[in-house]
Amino acid sequence: MALSSTLYNSIFKRTSTFALACVACAFFFERTFDLGVDTLFNKINEGKLWRDIKPSEEQ
Amino acid sequence: MLKPATVSSYLKGVTQVVGNQLNVGKQVAVLPAKQVSFTVPSPLGLSKSLPNGNVTITCALGTPSQVRWAHTDITVPDWTEYRKDSVKSPNVRSSESEESRKNFAYLMAGTLGVGSAYAAKSLVTQFVSSMSASADVLALAKIEIKLADIPEGKSVTFKWRGKPLFVRHRTQAEIQTEQNTPSSSLETLNMIASVLKTQNGCVPISNAGDFGGYYCPCHGSHYDASGRIRKGPAPLNLEVPEYSFPSDGLLIVG
Repeated sequence: MALSSTLYNSIFKRTSTFALACVACAFFFERTFDLGVDTLFNKINEGKLWRDIKPSEEQ
Repeated sequence: MLKPATVSSYLKGVTQVVGNQLNVGKQVAVLPAKQVSFTVPSPLGLSKSLPNGNVTITCALGTPSQVRWAHTDITVPDWTEYRKDSVKSPNVRSSESEESRKNFAYLMAGTLGVGSAYAAKSLVTQFVSSMSASADVLALAKIEIKLADIPEGKSVTFKWRGKPLFVRHRTQAEIQTEQNTPSSSLETLNMIASVLKTQNGCVPISNAGDFGGYYCPCHGSHYDASGRIRKGPAPLNLEVPEYSFPSDGLLIVG
């Protein structure tokens, strides 16, 4: 209860802090989300990527 | 028209007449408030007095065409299905769970906001980066210079991206002189000096001016051998472009 009231009073109550929190979260979300999606892409396309076929192509 | 006798006091409307304030000559008598008492009929008596069975409605000139029911037979819809668990019980104050409910709603809105900000940023980045030069254009816009061709103490002018590029092989004495001149943007680079006059597209003259570097004839700006502005109206140093030395004696600008 104390946590939720602190959260509400400090962030959600004012639009300014709410928007600021959104932007700050978006910054971290972007880094993690992009990294996660790239990792997933590389995992799905394992063996087809240039870094995988580079030794056989360059010989 | 329906007029159940015992419930007429419940169904009556009240009209208030406000006296005309403009009529100041007359004294308005204030009557004592009249106490109206009525007995609440028993549910049985109430149900007897209320219309049931076939109700006929007359419609004629001079008779009211509206039938008002007592609204006692309408059940209030049950919204329990749509309520949050914290406000289902009628015995618990809703203000106790107010903040957690608010937090939930704001958290949902905030998550949407974060997602939208991410999407908007990606979209703008995509569009803006599509305007910049592509990799193949940038690859063509490079210049390779063999450093051995430039004798020491000489400045050679190349044309690069439509602008003059000066590559100067500075002597040790020149380097010492430049290094002894304190500057906030001191170039520690030995070979490459500068490209592009900062004003109006004038081309500076090399090995000229008061400081043995470059001299701009248009406005009389003196630059030293590192391309720094030393004297004259030019507001900025000569620009040093991006460069690299991929191997010994080879310089790539761009």
